[in-house]
Amino acid sequence: MANEDPCFIGSKTTVRGQVSGKQDLVVEGRIEGHISLDSHLTVEESGTVEADVDVSIATLKGEVRGPVVATRSAVLHATSRVAGKIKAPSITIEDGARFSGEIEMDVELPADVVPNNP
Amino acid sequence: MAKEKETKTMANTVIGSSIVVDGEITGEESLTILGTVKGKIATGQAVVVEPGANVEADVEAQTVTVSGKLTGNVTAREKLELRPEAKMVGNAKAPRIVVADGAMFKGNVDMDV
Repeated sequence: MANEDPCFIGSKTTVRGQVSGKQDLVVEGRIEGHISLDSHLTVEESGTVEADVDVSIATLKGEVRGPVVATRSAVLHATSRVAGKIKAPSITIEDGARFSGEIEMDVELPADVVPNNP
Repeated sequence: MAKEKETKTMANTVIGSSIVVDGEITGEESLTILGTVKGKIATGQAVVVEPGANVEADVEAQTVTVSGKLTGNVTAREKLELRPEAKMVGNAKAPRIVVADGAMFKGNVDMDV
């Protein structure tokens, strides 16, 4: 899955719209819109993402607003500021990370517990 | 590792070969495109369209170097260069324009003469 050429969004660059693909993406700048990747998204400390995020692995160190869906895992590092819903089978929130929103981990609930969201 | 370092110093933003951007890229640093960009590109620095890249966008930059496929109007404040592998359809506006032998180009040229 690892691709040879890396994909960076530099700190002085803004992307507005839809970003999709199959290779790892590192964001040091800003993305607004929609991110859809079959790979690893890293939002660096200087990065800002205001987007619907749909990736395999999300490593968040910067500012993220919007629903984040990771099919494998999501990590909120100590420097991250995240708002929105996060859905992933495995979620890590480090000490120091600021997060406001909802977490969904697809946990199998016991049969007698009724999920509150339809 | 050395390659990664080189790419980093050469361009601050790289759109990888399997990445598709549909929208607008703006900034104040150089941009290298190996993948697909549709929409609009505006930067105060250089834009490089690498071989294999597909750009369907209006481009505004200091210098524009095309080795891939570009459809759209290009405005370069300094220079537009079409390399031998380039395929460009659209209008070009720049004070200096270089079209290499082998490059395919269809459109108007405005050098502000």
